[in-house]
Amino acid sequence: MPSRRLDQARPFFTLGLVVAIWLILPAGIKSFTRASFFEFTAPITVAASYARDLQEYWSLRAHSKSDLIEAGRDLARLNAQYSLSVQQNSELRAQVERLEELLRLPAHANFRSEHARVARRDFSAWWQRMTLRKGANHGITVGAPVVFSGGVVGRVTEVHAYTCIVDLISSPTIRIAAFVENDDRPISFQGGVNPTYGPAKGVLEFVPLDIHASPAAPRRLVTSGLGGVFPPGLALGEVTKTEPSTDGLFKTGEVSLDPRLSTLTEVTILVPLDPASS
Amino acid sequence: MRSALALTLTLFLLAILLAQLNHALTGWGVYLWLGGLFTTHAALAPSTRGGRTAAFLGGLLLDSTTPVAFGTHALLFAAGYTLVFRLRDRVPRDENTGRVVLALVTNLALFLVFSFLQSRQLPADAQLWSRLVVDLLCSQVLLALITPWFCALQARTLELFDSFAAAYERRFG
Repeated sequence: MPSRRLDQARPFFTLGLVVAIWLILPAGIKSFTRASFFEFTAPITVAASYARDLQEYWSLRAHSKSDLIEAGRDLARLNAQYSLSVQQNSELRAQVERLEELLRLPAHANFRSEHARVARRDFSAWWQRMTLRKGANHGITVGAPVVFSGGVVGRVTEVHAYTCIVDLISSPTIRIAAFVENDDRPISFQGGVNPTYGPAKGVLEFVPLDIHASPAAPRRLVTSGLGGVFPPGLALGEVTKTEPSTDGLFKTGEVSLDPRLSTLTEVTILVPLDPASS
Repeated sequence: MRSALALTLTLFLLAILLAQLNHALTGWGVYLWLGGLFTTHAALAPSTRGGRTAAFLGGLLLDSTTPVAFGTHALLFAAGYTLVFRLRDRVPRDENTGRVVLALVTNLALFLVFSFLQSRQLPADAQLWSRLVVDLLCSQVLLALITPWFCALQARTLELFDSFAAAYERRFG
């Protein structure tokens, strides 16, 4: 009878042994194993992403010539608008540099733009992250901000040989100092709960009492530039709700993020030119 | 060792397919989690050797691509394997229905434990639980649909590896 009992308990002894060994295993071995497992799966993730691109290419080839002509015409209009904006931008940049020199202000951190395709999106209730098809081989650094045409996407948290991982601003693990547009008091933004069948949301803390927002009259939320990770003025989302916090000193708020965040296929990584300064 | 390798390969395939499915579902705000499938068949298979190793390696594979403490999935799956292994004589494991029910119960338990472990870093919001309930329901539906296929795949892979080994022994042994 005792030997039968021992037999029944053997799986639990083995489990306990596995847990004990895992707990005392040095952190270096664990991080090496993690990196090895990741790099082992990375080629498949990237290959699947290339296969999707090929699929998209063949589906685009099925479009008629009149569709292409229409798209070309729309692009030509956009190009005309953008070339005008580029001229204005360079003029404004020169003006900023003159003022910085005149007032002896510290210059803003400079970034190099690195465009990258999204290899994999991984959005759960627990985390929101994506894998990009560029990594250490392209000079990507941990902490680099990632943006798209609608504003901020997130921050690079892991860099591997030819892929990198980005934590999205909708992820509860992300915190950013932000401004409500046309106001220079810093507010704390954090990724929030992401509901099913709806756009992602963020939460605000330490909102000054005189800032009001509602779904009918939303306020635009932009990065503050404080902390040095994100350049100032990049769109984060729209503040759609504010309510007094429990302490009565500040308000809390809710931010609606861009719905395109959940279907992104291409983003831009802002790689700091001088990583030490940022 | 051979059965561990065969089972790990099938778990690797499952992890890849699941990642692609979750990628496609991001626009809908739904996330599928099939932890139960990483442990159930490995613990029910006639040959018990390698099941725990496969479940553990499958867990490490998920750990490497998710922002959790390395080993969370692996230890969770090893614990799930042990419990299913302990219960295997009390369930009709040769029938598909029995396997599906066991996979569903295991997935539910592992999902709840995993959510509890992750809840410390999440905001306390009622919407979070509604999202988790929807994710769990969708995961359970998918699990019920694919468990018979996945069990058959694992059984055939084990047979294939055994036949390769037998052929190798006939020729060189």
